[in-house]
Amino acid sequence: MSGRRSRSRQSSGTSRISEDQINDLIIKLQQLLPELRDSRRSDKVSAARVLQETCNYIRNLHREVDDLSERLSELLANTDTAQAALIRSLLTQ
Amino acid sequence: MASSTIQTLTTTFPIKEIFALHFLHSLSKLRRQKSFTGKTSERARKIKIAAYISMARATGGTSRRWSRAILWRLHRRAKARKILGYTKLKKRSSGADVGRIRRRRKDAEEDRLRTVVPGGGDMETLRLMMETAHYIKCLTMQVNVMQSIVDALSSA
Repeated sequence: MSGRRSRSRQSSGTSRISEDQINDLIIKLQQLLPELRDSRRSDKVSAARVLQETCNYIRNLHREVDDLSERLSELLANTDTAQAALIRSLLTQ
Repeated sequence: MASSTIQTLTTTFPIKEIFALHFLHSLSKLRRQKSFTGKTSERARKIKIAAYISMARATGGTSRRWSRAILWRLHRRAKARKILGYTKLKKRSSGADVGRIRRRRKDAEEDRLRTVVPGGGDMETLRLMMETAHYIKCLTMQVNVMQSIVDALSSA
């Protein structure tokens, strides 16, 4: 209505990126995923699958950070000075 | 472009030591705060934030888009808390939402990925993949270090 085109067409820019480069990165991503790392020889995994698993993996890692923060929070609450010293010793390592 | 891509992915990791140092430092700083004796959940939140900040700083802070996004997000949140006294912020719509209707599954997955990689909203495909690979490496490292601190503390 206002005449402003918010839906810009930027897809022309992305076509400059070669499919090879993207495929290359997809393979690299796949090798970072425990789920798919080992299955790479037997059958080809689709790019969509790799991206999906990547997403799940990151979510899992986020969850692990949450859990570990909880654990640390509990541990540090009951930490006496001896354990504080341990932290300090870890710091100097 | 190709050579820089490879360079991005073969980052070596003294970053791990730098992260551990930053994180342990902020943990001991947190411990000394009076407010740290409060609720466990509140403490856990602070620890989590400290972990992400430490990681973002360890990777050089502004050299990566994802780490810049983490630092910027927390900075905004801290500012909002100071001004408004509460932490809720309107969720910024990411670039991925901008009227992009795509049919292919790969693109759908790509957009989903944008929501979990910090700052991923407005990255182009190649950049998104590069940042994702680096983010996964760093996040894995972060989890490992946090785990070993937990182990060290629970066995002490």
